[in-house]
Amino acid sequence: MEPLNLTTAIYLLFTYSVGLIFVIGVVLRIYQYSVTPQPIKIMLTPAPLTKSGAFARVLGEVFFFKSLFKSNKATWVFGYLFHISFFLLIFMHFLRHFIYSNPLPWWYNIFVGIGIVCGIVMVLSLFLLLMRRVVIERVKFISLFQDYLILVLLMLIGLAGLSLNYVLTPSALTVVDNQLDPYMNGLLTFQFTNIPSNPLFLIHYTLVMLLILYIPFSKVMHFVGIFFSPTRNMADNPIEERYYRPNAKDLSI
Amino acid sequence: MAKPKDKYRVPVLDGKISIPKIVPGASSYEHMIEAQKEDMEALGFPSKLQDGWKNKALGVFKEILDHNKAVRDYMDICVRCGACTDKCQFFLGTADPNNMPVQRQELMRKVYRYYFTPSGFFKSLSNAQELTEEVLKEWYTYFWQCSECRRCSLYCPYGIDTAEITMAARQIMDSIGLGQKYTTEVIHKVFKTGNNIGIPPAALRNTLDDLEEEIEEEGGKGVKIPMDVEGAEVLLVPPSADFFAMPHMESLKGYAKVFHKAGISYTVSSYASEAGNFGKFIGSYQNTKEINKRIWDEARRLKVKRVIIGECGHAWRAAYMYSNTMNGPFDFLDSKYKQPTHICDFTLGLVKDGVIKLDPSANDDKVVTFHDSCNVARGSRIGDAVGGQFTIPRELIKAAANKFVELREGTTKESTYCCGAGGGLLTEEVMNVRIAGSMPRMQTVKEAVDNHGVNFYALICAICKTQFTKVFPLYGLDAEMVGGIHQLVSNAIIM
Repeated sequence: MEPLNLTTAIYLLFTYSVGLIFVIGVVLRIYQYSVTPQPIKIMLTPAPLTKSGAFARVLGEVFFFKSLFKSNKATWVFGYLFHISFFLLIFMHFLRHFIYSNPLPWWYNIFVGIGIVCGIVMVLSLFLLLMRRVVIERVKFISLFQDYLILVLLMLIGLAGLSLNYVLTPSALTVVDNQLDPYMNGLLTFQFTNIPSNPLFLIHYTLVMLLILYIPFSKVMHFVGIFFSPTRNMADNPIEERYYRPNAKDLSI
Repeated sequence: MAKPKDKYRVPVLDGKISIPKIVPGASSYEHMIEAQKEDMEALGFPSKLQDGWKNKALGVFKEILDHNKAVRDYMDICVRCGACTDKCQFFLGTADPNNMPVQRQELMRKVYRYYFTPSGFFKSLSNAQELTEEVLKEWYTYFWQCSECRRCSLYCPYGIDTAEITMAARQIMDSIGLGQKYTTEVIHKVFKTGNNIGIPPAALRNTLDDLEEEIEEEGGKGVKIPMDVEGAEVLLVPPSADFFAMPHMESLKGYAKVFHKAGISYTVSSYASEAGNFGKFIGSYQNTKEINKRIWDEARRLKVKRVIIGECGHAWRAAYMYSNTMNGPFDFLDSKYKQPTHICDFTLGLVKDGVIKLDPSANDDKVVTFHDSCNVARGSRIGDAVGGQFTIPRELIKAAANKFVELREGTTKESTYCCGAGGGLLTEEVMNVRIAGSMPRMQTVKEAVDNHGVNFYALICAICKTQFTKVFPLYGLDAEMVGGIHQLVSNAIIM
C-alpha cells in the first residue's frame, strides 16, 4: 500500500475535526431547543387540533415551504429549486459511493448526468437568490454579510463540483474517482488511503468542509429550528388538554 | 429625517396596498410616553432606568433565552429571506425599514449575536451590536410600533413570531425601568379597580342601571344587567369599554338581550369587570397571569357554571389560550361547556337551537362587512372546528343581517390586517403610527364602501372598535359605521 502523504494527513485531521464540530454543534442545538420550555401555547391559528396534525403542518413547511409559497412566489421557486437540487446532490454523493465499482454499471453516465443537471440548477437558483438580495431594495436592506457569505460559499462549491466534470478530462476524472472511493471508505473504517490530489477536487472538498464547519454557527441551523417552532408545531387544544410547563418561570410569554 | 409633528399625516385612499420605497428613520420620532413611577412599581418593575441597567437587561435576556423556546429558536433561525418585509401594516404605512418584521427582530438579534453567540467576535462583519443607550432607544421606539398582530408569522417559512420578540423586548425594558405609560397605567388600574378604565363598583352599577333604562326605552322590557350575583349560571366578562365607550355599549345591550330572551341567568363582576389583558402586551407572564386570575377567582366566588367572554380580541386570546395554563384547570365549572366560551359562539348556539330568534330584516338598512381581529383570527379559535373563529362570527352576522359582503380577499381571515392600534398602541402620542398602521385595512374598507355600499363595519374587538372610530373620520369615512356584531344582534333579536 502507498504510504500516506502530508496532504492526506492534513485533510484527515481537518475532516475529522469538522465532523466532530458539526455533530457536537448540531446535537447541542437540538438539546438546547428541546430543553428550553415554551411557557404558553402560541400556535398560529387556524391550527390543527391534534399533535399529529401539528406535526403534519411542520412537515408541510419542511417539504413544501407552504408559508413561503403563500408569501412570495418568486422566493419560493428559487428557494425550492435550490433546496431540492442541493438535497438531491447530497443524496447522490452518498449513493455514488455504493454504486461506484469496476467496471462501472451501464447507467453510471445517466446518474452523473442527473447530478450535473442538479448542479447547474443549484448554482443558477443560488445566483437568482443572490440577485434578489442585490436588486430588491427591501431584501438588500435586510441582507447581512453572512447572507451573502453562505450564498457565495454554496455557489463556489457547486461551481467547483461542476468544474470536475467540465474542466477535467474523463481519464483525469476517473483517477480522482478511483482514489476518492477508498479514501471515503477509509474515513469510516480508519484504513486510510491518500486523498485525490487533483487541485479542483481539493478545492471542492475544502469548501464543503468549510460549509459543514460553518453550519452550527450559522442561519443554516434553520433545518433544526424549524422543527421546534412553537407557532407551527403546537396543537390547538389549550382547553381540551391543559398545557403546563412548571420550569417556564414567570418571565416573558 | 426627524420632522416636527405638527398635525396628523393621513395617507390618501386610492384602494391600493402598495409596497413603499424604504425611508430609513421615517417613524423614528414617534415615541411612547414613558411609564409613571407608581404604575411601574405596582407592576413589580423598577420605576426608572438605574445604574447597572445594562447588566440587568442582559441577565433578563439570558433568562428569557433559557426559559422561552420561541425566543431562543427565533433568535437563531431567521435566514432573512425577506418574505415578511411587505407583510406588516406598520411598514406599509410608515415606510420605515425598522418596521419590516425581520428588521424589527434584527434590533434584538444584533444584541443577541454580540453577547450570546460566537459571531459576536466578528462584530461589524456579522452585525453584532453592544447594548448601548442608543440601541435601547431604538428598541423603545420600534418595539412600541409593533401591534403583536402576528401577520408576519403567518408568512414566515419558519413561523418566526415577531410578537414574541416584541414581548420579550418589552419585558426586558420593563425589568430595567423603561416602561410605557399607557399599558402600565391600564394594568395598574386593573389591579386597583378591576378594569382598564379604573371605574369603581358603585359607578359601574350606576352605568349598568342607565344601560338597563336605555334598553327599556328601546323596547327591551325587563332586560337586566346583573352585577356580582352569586349563583348565577354564567359569569359574563366583557372588555370594560363595553360598559362606557361607544359603539361598544351597543354590543353590551346585545349581550343583555340575548341572556334575557334565552332565560339564562348571568352576572357581570365588579372585581373582574375587564376581559382585556394588557399583561400580554408587555409580554409579562406574571402580570398576564395575575390579570387573568381575577376572572377565575370570580367564577369560583360567584359559583357560576360557565364563563363567557365578550367581544374583545386579545382578551379572547388570553382567556382561550392562556387561562388553562396559567390559572387552570377549571374542574369547578360545568364540564358540559367550553371554559371559557366566546359570546359569539354562545349566541349563535342559541340561534341555531331556536332558543332566541333573530329578524335579519331589522338590519336591512345596513350593508355589513366584517373585520377579522388579529388576536382572534391568528391567536385563538372559537367553537369546535378549525377556523371557527372565521365561520362563527360570519354565521352570526348573516343570521342578524341580510346584506353581508367580505372585504378584499387576502386581507381577511388569517391574512387580516391589524387595525393599527393593538398590542398597547391605542394611545394618543403615537397617533401617526396608528393612522399609518391602519392604512392597508382602510384601503379595503374604502373599496368596500365605494363598490358595495358597505355602511356597517362589524367588529369583535374593543381595541378595533376604538381605533376605527378614531381613524375613520380622519380618512373621510363615517365613524358611525363602526360597531359590534352584538349591536346587529341587539337590533335583530325578537323580544
